[in-house]
Amino acid sequence: MSIMHILLSWQMVGALLTFFIFSFLFRDNPFYKFAEHLYVGISLGYTIALTWYSTVWPDLFQPLFFSPASQVAVGQKLLLVIPLLFGLMYFTAFIPKVGWVMRVPMGFIMGWGMGVWIPATVQTTLIKQIQGSLLTPTMLTKWHLLLFGLISLVGVICSVIYFFFSREHKGAFKVASETGIIFLMVGFGASFGYTVMSRMSLLIGRFQFLLRDWLGVIH
Amino acid sequence: MSTEVNVKEKFTFWQALGHIDRRIIYLVLAIVVIVPLIVPLKLMKDVSPRAREVFAAIDNLKDTGKPLMISVDFDPASLPELYPMLISMIRHAFARNIKVMVLGLWPNGTGLGQQALKQAAEEFSKQEGADYVFLGYKAGVDAVILGMGENIKAVFPKDGNGRALDSLPMMTGIRKLADIGLIVSLSAGTPGYADWLLYAQSRYKARLAAGSTAVQAADAYPYLQTGQLTGLLAGMKGAAEYEFMVFQHGFSKAKMTAAPAMDPQSLAHLAIILLVIIGNIGFFADRRRGKA
Repeated sequence: MSIMHILLSWQMVGALLTFFIFSFLFRDNPFYKFAEHLYVGISLGYTIALTWYSTVWPDLFQPLFFSPASQVAVGQKLLLVIPLLFGLMYFTAFIPKVGWVMRVPMGFIMGWGMGVWIPATVQTTLIKQIQGSLLTPTMLTKWHLLLFGLISLVGVICSVIYFFFSREHKGAFKVASETGIIFLMVGFGASFGYTVMSRMSLLIGRFQFLLRDWLGVIH
Repeated sequence: MSTEVNVKEKFTFWQALGHIDRRIIYLVLAIVVIVPLIVPLKLMKDVSPRAREVFAAIDNLKDTGKPLMISVDFDPASLPELYPMLISMIRHAFARNIKVMVLGLWPNGTGLGQQALKQAAEEFSKQEGADYVFLGYKAGVDAVILGMGENIKAVFPKDGNGRALDSLPMMTGIRKLADIGLIVSLSAGTPGYADWLLYAQSRYKARLAAGSTAVQAADAYPYLQTGQLTGLLAGMKGAAEYEFMVFQHGFSKAKMTAAPAMDPQSLAHLAIILLVIIGNIGFFADRRRGKA
């Protein structure tokens, strides 16, 4: 790889921006600020453009204003007026006198969201997880399944007891509560370990980019 | 450990362990990452059962004839962890003649999905519309997933390149999520695998597997035990395992990126463990001095 190829390439831009971001490890500086703002600006601009061309234009503006009645029926067009109005209501946030109007679409979104989200969440994260914590006849077929099932059951009960504040933690209750702390700490440890792995992965990814894509030192 | 050395204060050797300059820590980490990248140690040897489950689930689609749907729920910030999963899965599917659909719930990641499809399609000489479909991005997350549960073409009347889905040969017989063999959410946060679990898996009983950043992995494990997730690829390790399996089975001879990264990953973890131990020694030495 020639020096000119390295200097006049998109990889060079990527490498420079990587160094700008890494410079924050030393201290905050204008190069870091530049790269940070560039990233935020590009991300936001890209999101706006993509959302417009993939959703707002083809699903709202085009059928509502630019499609003949032979393609989109009048009834469908009238239905599209509702999301258009709701969308416009958000812009009242910029006019203090009528800013309250924004609550209408927000209320709709919250109502719809909660209605959809609550039953799905109860089913997915509560009922299914309670079922998963129970000892089932299948677990009795192999000793390791039974062992893991028991650990899981004890862990769930003790962790829930730790967060039970309506009774003083004394006697057996205290033992269970403190056992719950051990399970919680193991959980936090696992999360921290995975977080370290994640952060290291990002660092490795950057070094792979610098050494392979930019400098061509590794293959 | 993170504070800089205070030159005015005198530390014993043991106390100094708890006050190592952060720049020394950065230097140590840079060395343990760079050296094994240049001089590979080839530590990647084994694959976890969770990764095997994802591999088997995709491999078995060959028998059902149903397509694989991959949701690109990440952006370039998580590229080192999730992009190798994405490209390896597409290569695996193409090698087994499994149809692939790719969409994105994250606007900034959708282009990565298109790039991976294009790259793998060139390697395996696959035709867009016949062997794979790029659906693109649609705003609305919950509404998008729920809508696809009823009718995919109502949510995505056109693909990411503006062609009507009805005109694509691959989409014949594919109407809703129930017609998809396996959905894989490659997830870096919200929206991500949790949304697919809530709506596609829970409500429409879709078969779901996840590839997640390591940060999210601990939260995803409970869903494996209950069978809500068919398999899980956790972070760069999961990506490396999948790459390794695709390579091992001879499905692709393309250059791997995540598997060689397991060398620096392992050494960096070792360095972090040592630093945690050293920091704790310094902490206890400090505490002892305080009591004296």
